[in-house]
Amino acid sequence: MGALSGSNASVVLPSVNGAKLALKQWSADNDDCEISLEEFDTEGDPAKATPAATKMATDETFIGVMGGAFSGETRATKATFDDAGLTMISQSATATDLTTEEPAAVFHRVIGYDEVQGAAIGRYLRDVAGAKKVFVVDDSTTYGEPLATKVKDELGDLVVDSDKTQEGQTEFSAVVSKIESAKPDAVFYAGYAAEAGPFLKQLRDAGVTATFVGGDGLYGADFPKAAGDAAEGAIVTCPCLPADKAEGTFGADYEAEFGEAPGAYAAEGFDVMTIFLAGIKDGARDRKAMEEFVDGYTGKGLTKDYAFDDKGDVAEENVVIWSYKVTDGTLTAEQEIPKA
Amino acid sequence: MDFSSLIDQIGEHTANGLTKGAIYALVALGYTLVYGVLRLINFAHSEVFMVGTWAVLGVYTVLGATGGSGVGLVILATALAALAAVVASASTALIVERVAYRPLRKKNAPPLIFLITAIGCSLVLVELFGHVFRVFFGPPFGRALVSIPSLIDTEVWLDLGKTSITNMQIIVVVGAVVMMVALDTFVNKTRLGRGVRAVAQDPDTAALMGVNQDRVIMLVFILGGAMAGVAAILYTMNYDITKFDIGFLIGVKAFTAAVLGGIGNLRGALVGGLLLGVVEVYSSTLFSSNWEDVTAFVVLILVLMFRPTGILGESLGKARA
Repeated sequence: MGALSGSNASVVLPSVNGAKLALKQWSADNDDCEISLEEFDTEGDPAKATPAATKMATDETFIGVMGGAFSGETRATKATFDDAGLTMISQSATATDLTTEEPAAVFHRVIGYDEVQGAAIGRYLRDVAGAKKVFVVDDSTTYGEPLATKVKDELGDLVVDSDKTQEGQTEFSAVVSKIESAKPDAVFYAGYAAEAGPFLKQLRDAGVTATFVGGDGLYGADFPKAAGDAAEGAIVTCPCLPADKAEGTFGADYEAEFGEAPGAYAAEGFDVMTIFLAGIKDGARDRKAMEEFVDGYTGKGLTKDYAFDDKGDVAEENVVIWSYKVTDGTLTAEQEIPKA
Repeated sequence: MDFSSLIDQIGEHTANGLTKGAIYALVALGYTLVYGVLRLINFAHSEVFMVGTWAVLGVYTVLGATGGSGVGLVILATALAALAAVVASASTALIVERVAYRPLRKKNAPPLIFLITAIGCSLVLVELFGHVFRVFFGPPFGRALVSIPSLIDTEVWLDLGKTSITNMQIIVVVGAVVMMVALDTFVNKTRLGRGVRAVAQDPDTAALMGVNQDRVIMLVFILGGAMAGVAAILYTMNYDITKFDIGFLIGVKAFTAAVLGGIGNLRGALVGGLLLGVVEVYSSTLFSSNWEDVTAFVVLILVLMFRPTGILGESLGKARA
C-alpha cells in the first residue's frame, strides 16, 4: 500500500518492484505454493489510504501488508490494521511517532526513523560538509517538521535561521530572500520533491550557491527531474542502502527484471517481502501466526540485520544512513554517514 | 515576527509580491469578466490557466527548445509558446462555455446548477491531464510535477543596493500590465467592448438594442481565457513547472483577488491581484510561508467588512474612462 502514482511515486514504485522480485525468485523455488501481491494506490493521501486499508482488513486472505509507504497514510491506517490483526511492515515510513505514540502491535518497519536520520543529517552537515552556517526549512508536514527540529537540535548554534513552507507551494520568493540575507553555507530542506524542486530552482536563480541538503523525502527520481539543472550537486540523505552495496546479485537481478537500476527503497521492499515469505515458509497461514512470526523474526536481509524490538523498529546500531549526490540528473551514492 | 528582514529588504519583497500578484491579476480578469456579464463564478477558469501551461510545454517539446538553444530558437519558441498558450486557454474557455454553460442557459437553469457545472468542468479538465491523457499518451501527463525547460536564464537587471530586480520579474509585471491596459482599452473604447458593457449592465435592453448576447458571452470567455493564457506563459517562464492541478491554488487566489478588488470590475482585478501578491509575500517574510494563506484571507475579510463590494466596487457595466 502506498503512493503508486502522484508527485512522489518515484519514492515508492522501486520498493514495490523489489518486493515483486523477491516474490518471483521465491516462487521459482517454491512452485507448490501460490502467493499473490496486490497493489493498492493511495497517491500518498491518508484520505485515500483509509478505504484501501479497510478493504484489506476485511478480506481475510491478506495476511501481511507492505506499507504504508509514507508516514501520513501509515498514521491514518495503522489502527485499522491493528484491529484486524493484520501485520504491516513498512519499507519507508520514517516518522518517529509511528512507533512511539499510540503504538500498534502490528506495525513494523525495516528502516531507521526520522530522529535517527535527523541526527545523522546534522552530523553530515557539520562534519562532512563542514558547514558553519545552516539555514533550515521545513514543509510544515508531520514528516518535515519533526525532521527539521531534530536537525536543528543536533546543529545547535550552527543554525542561522529557519523558515516554514507548505505543501503545494510553488512560489518561494520570501524564503529565498531570507536565505539570501542569512548567507548560509548550507540549506537543509525537510519535505518532499514536489515542493523541493521549484524551491531549489528559485534558490539557484536568486544566485544562492549554498550546499542544498534534503532528507529521504527527496530520495527518488522525482526530485532531480523537478529541479532540473538546479539539482546538480544537491545532497539527499536516506536511511536506505544503495542497491549496488546490497549483498548478492540483487542489483543485477533487479536491472534484468525491470530494465532500470534499483531506485528508492528497492532493497528494503525486497527485504519486507522476504520476511513475509519466510513466515509463509515457516507455516504461517493466518494473520495471528504471521504477526507472531514477524515479531520474533531475526535474520540478515539485503540491507541490514533484522530483529524488531517491541515497538516494531530495528535496532539503531543496525540502521544505515547514506548520503547521495545529484550528478548529471541522477542520485549517486556518496558515502555512509558516520554513526555518532 | 521578523520585522527587520521585512523592512531591511522591503524593495525586494515588494518586487516579489508584485510578480506573484501580476499572475493572480491576469487570471482574476477571467473570473471578473465572466461574473460581470453572467453573474457566474466560473470555477473551471483555474483549469483554463492549467491548459495554457501545458501548451507552453508542448511547444517547447515539439521545437526541442532548451536552456542551451540559440537566441533565434529561444525567441521563436517563446513567441510560439505564448501564442499557443493564449489559443489553448481561450479555446478551453470557449469549449467550456459552449459545451457546459450554454445548454444550461437555454434551459434557464438556476444559478446553483451553473456553479456545480463549473466545479464539474474543472474536475473533468484536471482528470484529463492527471489521468486520462496519461493512459493514452503516457508521461509527462499524470499527477507528477513536470519541469518545463527554462529558455531564458534569470538575471539581475536592476541592482538598487538591497533590491535586485530580475529580468523575469520585469517581464512578468510589464507583460501583465500591458495586457490589462489593452483589455481595459478594448472593453472601454471599442464597439465590441461597448457590447460587453451593455450586456453586463442590462442584458434585456442590450438585446433590444441589437446586441447579440451569445456572441458577447463567447467573446467574454475568449478574452478571459486569453488572459489566462498570457498568465500561463509568464508563470511557466518564471517558475519552469506545471502540474495537472497547478490551476487550483492559483485559481482560488485569483478569485480572491477578483473579490478583493471588486468582482466584475477589470481594474479591481489588477488592484486586488497586486495587493494580494504583496500581502502574501510580506506575511511570508513576517511569519513564514505557511501563514500566507491565513493572512491573505484575513485581509480579504477585513476589506469586505468595510467595503462589501471590494476595493473598487463591482461595475464592469458602469466602468468609465
